[in-house]
Amino acid sequence: MFKCVHKSIALTVATLVLSSVSIFASEAKKDAIDGGMTYTRDKGMYSNYHINSQVDALKLNYGRTPTANELKAWDTDIMPDGTGLPEGEGSVEEGDELYEENCAVCHGDFGAGGVGYPTLTGGDISSLKNQRTAPGMDAPKRTIGTYWPQASTLIWYIRDAMPYAHPKSLTDNEIYAITAFLLANNEIEVDGKVQEDADVLNKKNFMTIKMPNRDGFYPDVNGENGVENVRKFFADPKNFGANTVRCMKDCKDDNATVMRIGIEMKDVVPGYSTERDLPAKKKGGATHPGKEAYEKNCAVCHKTDAMGAPDVGNKKAWAKVMKKGMDNVVNNAIKGTGAMPPKGGNPDLTDAQIKEIVDYMSSNSK
Amino acid sequence: MNKMTKTSSTDMNIMVEQSVEMTSRRDFFRKAAVYSASAVVASNVLSPVELLAADDENIIHHQKWGTTLGDELNKNPYGVPSPYEHNNVRRTTSLLSSAGDMHAAVSLTPLHEQQGIITPNGLFFTRTHNGVAHIDPNKYRLMIHGLVEKPIVLTLDDIKKYPSESVIHFLECPSNGAAEWKGPQFNSVQFVKGMMSCTEWTGVRLKTVLADLGVDPKAKWMLAEGQDGSEMSRTVPTEKAMDDAMLVYAMNGEALRAEQGYPVRLLLPGWEANLCVKWLKRLEFGTEPWYCKEETSKYTTLTASGKAIQHFYPLEVNSIITSPCPEKNWEFLEDGDMVEIQGLAWSGQGKIKAVDLSFDGGKNWVEASLKGLVLPKAWTRFSYMHKFKEGETLLLSSRAMDEAGYVQPTVNQEKKIIGVEGVYHRNSICTWEIMKNGEVNNVQMRS
Ligand code: HEC
Ligand code: HEC
Repeated sequence: MFKCVHKSIALTVATLVLSSVSIFASEAKKDAIDGGMTYTRDKGMYSNYHINSQVDALKLNYGRTPTANELKAWDTDIMPDGTGLPEGEGSVEEGDELYEENCAVCHGDFGAGGVGYPTLTGGDISSLKNQRTAPGMDAPKRTIGTYWPQASTLIWYIRDAMPYAHPKSLTDNEIYAITAFLLANNEIEVDGKVQEDADVLNKKNFMTIKMPNRDGFYPDVNGENGVENVRKFFADPKNFGANTVRCMKDCKDDNATVMRIGIEMKDVVPGYSTERDLPAKKKGGATHPGKEAYEKNCAVCHKTDAMGAPDVGNKKAWAKVMKKGMDNVVNNAIKGTGAMPPKGGNPDLTDAQIKEIVDYMSSNSK
Repeated sequence: MNKMTKTSSTDMNIMVEQSVEMTSRRDFFRKAAVYSASAVVASNVLSPVELLAADDENIIHHQKWGTTLGDELNKNPYGVPSPYEHNNVRRTTSLLSSAGDMHAAVSLTPLHEQQGIITPNGLFFTRTHNGVAHIDPNKYRLMIHGLVEKPIVLTLDDIKKYPSESVIHFLECPSNGAAEWKGPQFNSVQFVKGMMSCTEWTGVRLKTVLADLGVDPKAKWMLAEGQDGSEMSRTVPTEKAMDDAMLVYAMNGEALRAEQGYPVRLLLPGWEANLCVKWLKRLEFGTEPWYCKEETSKYTTLTASGKAIQHFYPLEVNSIITSPCPEKNWEFLEDGDMVEIQGLAWSGQGKIKAVDLSFDGGKNWVEASLKGLVLPKAWTRFSYMHKFKEGETLLLSSRAMDEAGYVQPTVNQEKKIIGVEGVYHRNSICTWEIMKNGEVNNVQMRS
């Protein structure tokens, strides 16, 4: 009997817990385009968040209509179908000169890289299959010629974002010229052939450009089914490296062994530290906060060892002093020790100032 | 005493300072006379009681902060962390930038110092493509146009006029951990997983803004473009714009930091931080994707087949143990100590459902506890109490599972599908090797 009561109490608690979940969170469904969850906005809730449901029914009509000129000023993207291509033209030869002047310093001669900034030319499309699973293997080359699927991206990006330090400083003719130069150096065909010096790229022949890696990407996002293709892609976890098995015991993992760091990358800024201390004072120099007060109050005895004081700059003497520990040394300077008068004879100096001075003296004696 | 009748606070301060100075001056002469008496005795709280070797001088002695006047309360009108916390900072490396150029680079969040699930604004990881732009909020405009019946221009004030919502979401760069595809490289949780942070964002749902614009049903795609020097842009499915996308102007209760796109950034919860375009300039609706530089040349995942995955939006289920970690190891523990193992789990595809821990490199697993808030597409804390055994080595891993049923893959499982040149979207299980002396090293379990 007693046991039974216990059980029913446990059950009630369980039901309460369950129902409280549905009260405190809106419904979740696995129907997002990315293979994940969406949450309904229902009964004043959005997942675990309370919301104001009035909002969802409103049309607020804020803002104003842009003028035709404003639209023209900002709607400057360039699309694969040629939408947005500006009027103008430029030759490979002109591009060569402009590139030399504006780009080579970072992207190397002919876009060949080597200066640390992105490489814009070279490599082979077959290198995209390279896998550096062992040291010394070549990396896949991801350049305009081997990787980029659309030429519109190139001319659009150059116009908006390059040259790096002065974006949007090139004219439309100039961006055609530089694009022509980069296409030629990537051996990408325009009008069925790689362009020569005198050949000109313009709005018309732009659409004849054939990018070598046009079909190198999936899922297919073009056309009416583009979005649905993405949805299908994410519907299968295997496509994107997701796992759905939660193994808890004796799990197999293809003879996995421990791989440790080979050559550690440690060149980080600021350097690693988890110390909780006061930031290090700048050593020496005119900027040290203790310098001025030292000159005024202490240098008279501490400049040389003539008076038996540890002279600033004398490594040996100060190493011996500092062996006592910073706190003790500061304390001695405050209270005085031997022939050293308290605070060097100036009671107006605060303890903190003495500490700064001692830090200055010791750090200039290392 | 006449002076005391003055009431201005500045005068009061001067008075206080003077009187403090007077006392210390008197003290000075007195102490100078007997300076042979040791300082230890002078500041000993218990004087003249004899001290024991076990006495902690931090308890026995008055501390400086207890015997001096502190700073004026509003010395820093915008507060700053304690000076002792100066090592809790974002870090960067030239290895993750072009030619060490710090305008198109990334700085990472110190996850080893992160508490809870909210990243302080000053520690939020940052990635820029043409430096940090500083936009005058009075000159800020957002244009929404394309396949809509009513294109609009909004000022910042217009955007703030809409009803606001606040939500907690992580943002993660899809190249978080990209240096580790071929094997462990950094011995640091900050550099292994620090290209992510989590914040309470405030802004307006994009759907609320679009409600009266009449977006054409044929407009399956939306271009989002930034105003910075790179005009960073990306194509987004309209479906996401109509689901949980937001225009955000605040993080953790204050305006966005410049590094995070001040004054307005697009937020696509759970999706690549790169898609969450900063310094937002323009949203355009259309029927075809735009093929921006950051969705072709970059942010595409090259697989071993030589073909690359494009439009790879969600950050998949992931986790990392932040304590212990290489920066915060177990060298301070003593044999038999109970110690908390904890860390962060997240998924761009839903809530975290469970996190498992393995002590043997992934052969056997136990379920850890989740703690604190469990929210969609947000960092979630996990915790497990462990008995530390001196001299024992462990291969400590965490593995998260999300509401959508995805489980973090092993390094080998991920490698099998993607290869090692994918750069983006690495979410395989991370492992720390706990050495005999409590040191912690970044390793990988792989063949
Ligand atoms: C001061 C150095 C600098 C100069 C000068 C410069 N760039 Fe760049 N360029 C960069 C950086 C840095 C990036 C990478 C930006 C990023 O990370 O988003 C880049 C990226 C590019 C890319 C994309 C590369 C890729 O593979 O994704 C192209 C194309 C490009 N630049 C073309 C040009 C052209 C054309 C010029 C001259 C008009 C130019 N750049 C001048 C620094 C420079
Ligand atoms: C009148 C000369 C004189 C002046 C002025 C003077 N010192 Fe000294 N100081 C000495 C002498 C002498 C010693 C060596 C005392 C000994 O070792 O017995 C000394 C020692 C020290 C030491 C080492 C204490 C130790 O623990 O070994 C410090 C630190 C120091 N002085 C700091 C200062 C500072 C700071 C000032 C200025 C505010 C200052 N001194 C001004 C004479 C002077």
